Amino acid sequence: MALKPVTTPDIEAATVELSIDGRTVSAKDGVSLYDVISSTGKIVPAMCYHYTFDPFGSCGMCLVTVEGKKAPVRSCTAKAAAGMVVRTDGDDLFQARKKAVEKHLSVHPLDCPVCDADGHCELQDMAFHHQVTNLANAKQKLIPEDTRSPVLDFNMNRCIACGECINVCKDVLMIDALQFIKKGGFTQVVAKGDTALACEFCGDCLAVCPVGAITNKFSKYLYKPWQLRKTTTTCNYCGDGCQMHLETKDNEVVRVTSPLSWKNKWGDRADTAKGHGGICVRGRFGFQYIDSQARLRQPLVRRNGTLPEGELVETPWLEAMQAVVDRLAEVKAAHGAQAIAGLITARCTNEELYLFQKLMRAVIGTNQLDSSSRYGHLNFVRAVRHTLDVGRMTNDCEDITKAKAILLVGTNITETNPLTAVRVKEAIRVYKSQVIVVDSAQTNIAKLASYPMIVTPGTEGLFVQGLVKSVIEQDLIDAETTGKHPEAFAALKRAVADVSLEAIAARTGVSVEHINEAASIFAEAPRAIILCAEGIVRRPDGYQNVLKLVDLAWITGKLGRPGSGVNTLTEEVNEQGAVDMGAAPEYLPGQARFDDEAARDKFAKAWGAALPAPSSGANLMEILERCRSGAIKALYVVGENPVATLPASLEVRAALEQLELLICQDPFLTETAQMAHIVLPACTYAEKEGTFTNLEGKVLRVRQSMDPIGESLPDWHVMTSLASGLGSQFEYESSQDIQSEIMKLLPGYYNLGEPRKLSPKPDAYLSNGYVAEVGSRYGVVREAVSERNGHRPFGLVMGQLLYHSGKLSTQASGLITIAPSAGRLHMNAQDMERLGLTEDSRVRVTSGQGSLEMGAKADLSVMPGSCFFPEHFNDPPVKDLMPVEVDSVTGVPYFKFAWVSIEEA
Amino acid sequence: MSIGTLTKKVLHAALFDEIWDAMKVTFRHMFHRPITFQYPREQRTIPDAHRGALGLLRYDDGKERCVGCDLCEAACPSHCIKVISAEDKSLPLQRYASEFYIDITKCVFCGYCVEACPVNALAMTKLYEYSTHDKRTLLFDKKRLYEIGERYLADAKKYLFAHNQEKDDQDSREYRYFFPQSVQKPTQPGPPKHLT
Repeated sequence: MALKPVTTPDIEAATVELSIDGRTVSAKDGVSLYDVISSTGKIVPAMCYHYTFDPFGSCGMCLVTVEGKKAPVRSCTAKAAAGMVVRTDGDDLFQARKKAVEKHLSVHPLDCPVCDADGHCELQDMAFHHQVTNLANAKQKLIPEDTRSPVLDFNMNRCIACGECINVCKDVLMIDALQFIKKGGFTQVVAKGDTALACEFCGDCLAVCPVGAITNKFSKYLYKPWQLRKTTTTCNYCGDGCQMHLETKDNEVVRVTSPLSWKNKWGDRADTAKGHGGICVRGRFGFQYIDSQARLRQPLVRRNGTLPEGELVETPWLEAMQAVVDRLAEVKAAHGAQAIAGLITARCTNEELYLFQKLMRAVIGTNQLDSSSRYGHLNFVRAVRHTLDVGRMTNDCEDITKAKAILLVGTNITETNPLTAVRVKEAIRVYKSQVIVVDSAQTNIAKLASYPMIVTPGTEGLFVQGLVKSVIEQDLIDAETTGKHPEAFAALKRAVADVSLEAIAARTGVSVEHINEAASIFAEAPRAIILCAEGIVRRPDGYQNVLKLVDLAWITGKLGRPGSGVNTLTEEVNEQGAVDMGAAPEYLPGQARFDDEAARDKFAKAWGAALPAPSSGANLMEILERCRSGAIKALYVVGENPVATLPASLEVRAALEQLELLICQDPFLTETAQMAHIVLPACTYAEKEGTFTNLEGKVLRVRQSMDPIGESLPDWHVMTSLASGLGSQFEYESSQDIQSEIMKLLPGYYNLGEPRKLSPKPDAYLSNGYVAEVGSRYGVVREAVSERNGHRPFGLVMGQLLYHSGKLSTQASGLITIAPSAGRLHMNAQDMERLGLTEDSRVRVTSGQGSLEMGAKADLSVMPGSCFFPEHFNDPPVKDLMPVEVDSVTGVPYFKFAWVSIEEA
Repeated sequence: MSIGTLTKKVLHAALFDEIWDAMKVTFRHMFHRPITFQYPREQRTIPDAHRGALGLLRYDDGKERCVGCDLCEAACPSHCIKVISAEDKSLPLQRYASEFYIDITKCVFCGYCVEACPVNALAMTKLYEYSTHDKRTLLFDKKRLYEIGERYLADAKKYLFAHNQEKDDQDSREYRYFFPQSVQKPTQPGPPKHLT
């Protein structure tokens, strides 16, 4: 689709001058006149206009007079030209616009009192502004409501055919799920092919609908916009950290809206590089868990015996806290601080993560603590910290939008991080970016990409190796950056000397030409971005794979060049914050190394306590190991659920049963909490104040939008009283107090949504240490696929669905309506046919770890020789089929991939 | 003090003149028609436009008029109305009030809610006797409001007529807004021909 020059920032257009209401205005030639008028600050009413897509010109409201034309013209579709004399006000224009409103209203049902958009409706506003009081020849459309979709209802009686929903879906989100159709004499919006809507359900069509034609099924008729209290907060599902408005009524979340709305329709297209303001299906429709019936409302304490007998009894807070404090003190007195460990989820706020590690280190005196960043994100952070001396992705999201080449490795980005995916789509659409997607499935982004590379499952790391080799072979290296470190480059050359592109091509299933093509596209682009995620950082050798990507960026000269760099995606919202706040044994807050003496002194002084010995730390896997061996007697689990997350072969359940004291602090009674001695009810993000750090390092406010459910308390509150009970006076009265302490210790961390630009500093590593390390990085091509020898022909991938995030979203009834736990294995249709399977058949899936029976279903995105199971559901417990491998450097457990055999059960 | 004045004073005292003066008023009123009503034995005639207790109305066929639009709640200056609306799942497109509360202790009887109602589901009646020992019963819920509406239907209709809001039941259906009737059959049996 051809965009006008103003909307394509790379294209320069001549500047012309025109007169608007007597003022001379300069604009780019050929842009929409409406954009020029609104850039002067004058707002002309328009119902079908939104700055995120091209003018559509259906509402007939934006009329202006242009000298030389008899009738008023629609300014949105008119193009600015030199010497135009434009008038935007006047009684004639007012009357003409009033006629247009009357035209829309004459076929509008006027059922405003029952309409969900009542009070938030552009047609109402227009009718009011233009004083429409009487309608001649009004008629009714009498179109039945389309309620076929599980999420959105289409009431086409109310539709004004502005086309905003269709345009935003097609142009901004590139999903193209809606279309106009002529039915019953009226133009109507329907899902593609007039079937039930089955799309990504991001709900941006709902957000831009200026009337009530598209309504949200989950909050239909439950509210009037003026009754709702709107709180701008940060979504707590994925690492994108989208801003959204949580709208509550009487302590109940009624709906979630996005900054993208028909109300915010004026802007410059270039602004979308800062985000288009939409949210995804999880954010918009996954809010029900906040006030769900399953929420814990009272502390629970196990009475009459210990695990596994004895039941959890509701207990008042004072009594439960007393029990926690007493028993923790007891364990500490009997076995020392090393008998206590803690785990925290990365869905907690920065303040809580900070307080957690302070509690563990300064009050209890143990460095045995970890967060859910350990499941993968730490691989990335450790790798870039080691090589580039930065602690997060090196670019911000604006660089992704403006990139000329994007290398997506092992990420189903439209499912895991939908709003970063919108940026990639914008890069494709507006900035004409080349996108290389390396994944084992035919993902949605692969369908849009110019270079989709579908590899054999588990060989993404190998492909990266191929890219490095290919860059060297094709001599695409950047002489300037490699010239600075000739020794390091020589070492790299030596290391890859044995790597054979043909062998890689054979293993990955991508031809040598394609590898070479991808390498040259990436190397030659002026702004090239690498985005790597779960398919590479959560698979065996994840740490090494990130290092290889850093090598690739280094030799092609992408490190430190504006708009280029190595980036990652995070699964949980605050994984970056968890690392920054030091909720990992290897890091103190601010990612200072735990064994760095200067940093230790600083924090010991600030906290007024001695820190535990540098070598005494334990990460997630070590904590579980020590639980099993009996070295750890008490475990404090905040929001984590290792029992349901980790495969059974790790014997998490048995390890936790060994404990003398298991304290769980969670909004829900999770599998782990069911085993606990004491369960403390925690608040969700909607009930507390704080901040999240998203994947690009933006610190985003989380605002309290409702009172805590039941007697639940924010995690920081519980931790503060726990510390006070254990004898250290924590004097925090609100999360702001914790914030000001962090501000003092980490100056500049609270960047108010404007992250500092990072400049990677690879020189120290390249001149020192690189030569020794790089040899082993490429030298061993590990036979990770050893089991793939005939009897285990299928690669089973456990991954994320678009509609869910972790286990938390399974508590949201809206998302469960959209994507219930089906207990079915996603398989390639050809494979199913070959095995003689139908949609009703049951299959037996066998891996080295065991075997399970489940249903099967054909999935178009799954490639032959692989299969997929969503990681959110443990029914059947597919995670138990996964072999576990622990990274030798970072301690990250890998358990998302297995080779399996499938037969009909 | 002169002799005459003194004699007058003594005479007045001897004849209980003040008492006679007072009794004059009493006797005069014995032959007057009484001005007060002997409430509650006697009831005053109340004009049709009187603003009394609120009631919810039904159409003649028994269907609830209220569409749960919350406009009464928005119009209420003393915030005494609370409407909880929901979708009638059996009838798509039908919005109704699943719960409806009027805290009559807070009500200032301004009648704005009746004026705001697009379907004339609310009306004021001539009922004003609802004093009680238990204040909680003064939070009228949906059931109570419908009971009032049914019992004082004639009053309510007269109220609406007096306030120029509704003439008859036929008129009420088409009053200010036309609400599309819910359609229960699916839009179309399958995808359109040109797409199959």
